Amino acid sequence: MATKDEILEALADYQVQCNGNARLRRMQRDWSRLIHFFAEDTGDHFTMDVVKGEITGFEAGARSVPDIIVTTVSENLCDMFWGDLNPSRKYLDGEIRVKASQEDVVRLDAITMIIWPDV
Amino acid sequence: MTQLKKVLKLRTVVSSSAGMALATSSYIAALQIATLVAGELAWVSVLVAGVCCLLSAMCFSELTSQYPSAAGIKLFIQNAWGEKLAIIIGMFYVVLGISMVGAESFVLSKVMTDSLTMINPEVDRAVWLSVFILFVAYLNYRGVKIAGTAEDIMTFAMLLLLALVSVYAISRAGVDLRGAFGSGRFTLSTVLSAAGLGVFLFVGFEWVTPLAEETTDYRMIGRGMLIAIGLLCVVYSLFSVAVWVGLTPEQRASGTPIPHILLGRNLFGTTGVLLFACLSVLASVTSFNAGLLNTSRFTYAMARDHVLPGVFSKLHPDHATPWVAILALVAYALVLSVIIFITGQYLFIIMLAAALECFIYVVMAVCVLRLRKKFPGRATDFRVPLGPVLPVVAAVIFGGLLVGIFLGATTDHSGTVLFQNYLVAVVMGAFFLLCTLYTLLVVPVFKKKAALKAATRTKRRPGRDQGAVPGA
Repeated sequence: MATKDEILEALADYQVQCNGNARLRRMQRDWSRLIHFFAEDTGDHFTMDVVKGEITGFEAGARSVPDIIVTTVSENLCDMFWGDLNPSRKYLDGEIRVKASQEDVVRLDAITMIIWPDV
Repeated sequence: MTQLKKVLKLRTVVSSSAGMALATSSYIAALQIATLVAGELAWVSVLVAGVCCLLSAMCFSELTSQYPSAAGIKLFIQNAWGEKLAIIIGMFYVVLGISMVGAESFVLSKVMTDSLTMINPEVDRAVWLSVFILFVAYLNYRGVKIAGTAEDIMTFAMLLLLALVSVYAISRAGVDLRGAFGSGRFTLSTVLSAAGLGVFLFVGFEWVTPLAEETTDYRMIGRGMLIAIGLLCVVYSLFSVAVWVGLTPEQRASGTPIPHILLGRNLFGTTGVLLFACLSVLASVTSFNAGLLNTSRFTYAMARDHVLPGVFSKLHPDHATPWVAILALVAYALVLSVIIFITGQYLFIIMLAAALECFIYVVMAVCVLRLRKKFPGRATDFRVPLGPVLPVVAAVIFGGLLVGIFLGATTDHSGTVLFQNYLVAVVMGAFFLLCTLYTLLVVPVFKKKAALKAATRTKRRPGRDQGAVPGA
């Protein structure tokens, strides 16, 4: 079980990796979304702002009405943000659940795929 | 309840479900049904097929309420029987499902050629066929999405127009029910045989299940499917009778792939032709567009899961669309369309699609029973009523329809056999075998390669030992 602080630390690294990747920024340049992540085993919520492909901020708690909601266990969230987990696989297994349009599901997965193509 | 900024409304779920089912080749199937049963009584078979599809829709609703995911069918089967069977059936369903484009593009090209002559019929048809497929491919490649409201308006307008024109045709030509009953063609056997084909009319209604992720209430998907099937029942029942009474005996006997265009011409002249041509284009584009969107995303996800070659997971650098998966599926659809174009055997694809749907409905009904047994305490927002009765009935009915399709022969109006339907079973069996061999022999190689790669990768998460990346 990953703690809230562990997930926030992972999110901080995720933000650096995303924002520093030129290819990803180009692909997501028209993509602005408010994303909620919910760790169902700990009950922790996290909010991430993506503005034109750039992660402009994240915080603990569920703020405002989101465009996308990602629900899974805290360990999966932490591993996903560190790039140690293939979110597509977990999604196809039903371990990660996403409430969003199909386009957003692909775009969310694209982040991991582009930053860590070997996962 | 969880809220999202944009959620699908019931209206859009209904229009998506009905829109997928409402394709140009449905018009031919309607005439085929009327030919099998005694014309004016075609609606009986349509209703039988519709009621059967309602049973299946209930099974899909229960499964979707438990696993509301775009991975839908694969996830249901995986939880019921494991990953290997899920991959086999998932691939089998998706790839054979996209085969319908072959029939759809053939019929649409015929519609357009008949409505608008440019060079000569053969060249025109080849042009229209290519334009149709490439246009939808472009929409998907660029990630252009038909907005929900536009899709709603198009689908409901098509349904309404089809119903109104059908009522007009029936009221103009009149219906001789007594003659139909006395024709000797209205037997239990012909009604059920036509109902098997009637399933084709509803093909794709279940493709709305991936939209579960875009709703906040999963029950809406189930309700949407039921309403869509109800609407389609009414419209197809009317149209199947209208197309029979509205065409001349010569037109019915001609084996035409464009009965709706002929009906339009008989009723309203050139205006009718244009009206039905527009309906055809809208119906085909919305169906193929949604089909390609779903199948390309499925292909992408399977590639990301190391089930298919990694090249299919490539995303377009600007549009974030799985362009390799899209192009591969479009190439497959084009090849099939060319084969249909050359052979003219579009009815084969229609029978194949009907059989494929019957097969998947059997699988889903058994899935419901299996998952109930495997996870008895699992919470669900919707449960098919009457315990195991309705899923068992659905499995038996669709199993029976499937066998009925395979044992029959496809004929034209004069009774001439076009092909024996067991050939459909042969093609499906061969394809299923291919999917099985691929899953058993090739997928393990991809998985092993991915696992080896993951094992050499250092975990980034602090405080963790090096080793295989979980989920990779």
